[in-house]
Amino acid sequence: MASLRQPTLRLLASSNIRRFSPTIINSTRCLATLAKEEIVTKKEPLVKKFSIYRWSPDEPTKKPQMQEYSLDLNECGPMVLDALIKIKNEMDPTLTFRRSCREGICGSCAMNIEGTNTLACLSRINRDASSTTRIYPLPHMYVVKDLVPDLTNFYKQYKSIQPYLQSKEPAPEGKEFLQTKEDRKKLDGLYECILCACCSTSCPSYWWNQEEYLGPAVLMQAYRWLADSRDGKSGQRKDMLENSMSLYRCHTIMNCARTCPKGLNPGLAIAKIKMMMVQSA
Amino acid sequence: MASTLRSSAARRILAATKPTSAIRLLPQTRVAAFHASQKHQILPPGPQVVHGTVNDPVPVPIANATHGSYHWAFERIIALGMIPLTVAPFAAGSANPALDAALGTALVLHSHIGFDACVTDYFPKRQYPRTRTFMIWLLRASTITAAVGLFSIQTNDVGLTEGIKRFWRA
Repeated sequence: MASLRQPTLRLLASSNIRRFSPTIINSTRCLATLAKEEIVTKKEPLVKKFSIYRWSPDEPTKKPQMQEYSLDLNECGPMVLDALIKIKNEMDPTLTFRRSCREGICGSCAMNIEGTNTLACLSRINRDASSTTRIYPLPHMYVVKDLVPDLTNFYKQYKSIQPYLQSKEPAPEGKEFLQTKEDRKKLDGLYECILCACCSTSCPSYWWNQEEYLGPAVLMQAYRWLADSRDGKSGQRKDMLENSMSLYRCHTIMNCARTCPKGLNPGLAIAKIKMMMVQSA
Repeated sequence: MASTLRSSAARRILAATKPTSAIRLLPQTRVAAFHASQKHQILPPGPQVVHGTVNDPVPVPIANATHGSYHWAFERIIALGMIPLTVAPFAAGSANPALDAALGTALVLHSHIGFDACVTDYFPKRQYPRTRTFMIWLLRASTITAAVGLFSIQTNDVGLTEGIKRFWRA
């Protein structure tokens, strides 16, 4: 119930409602909120500073710089993505970032917030107004603009592990490939990955050798297909990792598991691939 | 009165000694001195290179277990084997020549593999092919020197464990 009431309160607290044109106010719902408006006391503005990385390809010779924006947190949603959207809508339309689902399932808004790679939509704004929230694009990636990293290489690497089911035999006539409950359980903690690239871009080994090392996100997906009981090409899949760079640049630094906004553990998956490779070799 | 005279005189001297070109040069040299992104201070990342089209997968290297799973297994066996070898002299209370020799061998191999991983990480072939070759040979030379040195300590001197013990107590 409380959660239901909250958005209404937030609407009331915002000054936007008074700027609505009379025709819009002329609905019963808005009339009701206007009547209640007297009861709600307006909160003191809580001004928080956001320092955001800016670089534009239109001026390629201009150095990247940090730009500060001040925002009243009482007029803003609770998450960093809400703040970014508010800045873009009301203060600076040139600020560029990726966003889509605003609920941590698309992986678009991955960025470096307060020194941690995470999804802007899943990270709460630190309400301590004395500190500045610093927002950078994902580290050690080519920047397209502002907070937008170039993920071309990341997707090309994902494609190279052939992330689809490759069965030895065709599916039984008119049926899907079946799997026991135990075999299905092996995929839990692997299939939830949304490929936001937070883990790969937090991995020092990936910073040094991202042209050749596949990185935690892609390797976890490699393991997702190696662990699948229905897949018949695990031999070839393992051969693809049988070199010094693709898999074995992982030094179990474990930044991947620490930063994953979905709470997954790519480091563990990589360790399991290494065990698998030794057992089959 | 005196101060204004002095200051004007000083100003005249300054104006005479300071050429105008130096004033123009000064800010420039300052910028260069504190320029963080000078070419040799931060490694130039180089332009982004996309091999093939954006829809092509990255090329898969040729499978070679010697550089893959065998290498990893060998590395782990040596690392794990060093634990009992390190503990053994403490447990036994005395240095055994055979155990000493095993520890020395494992130590040299373990260090070689560890530094080799550093060379692979920090001097990638695609970026510094010549430095990489040099580092690999430098590492090989160092490993051989270390191995010869340990062999000499083992055969002509008190042995590795006893040597460390004496060094520790010295």
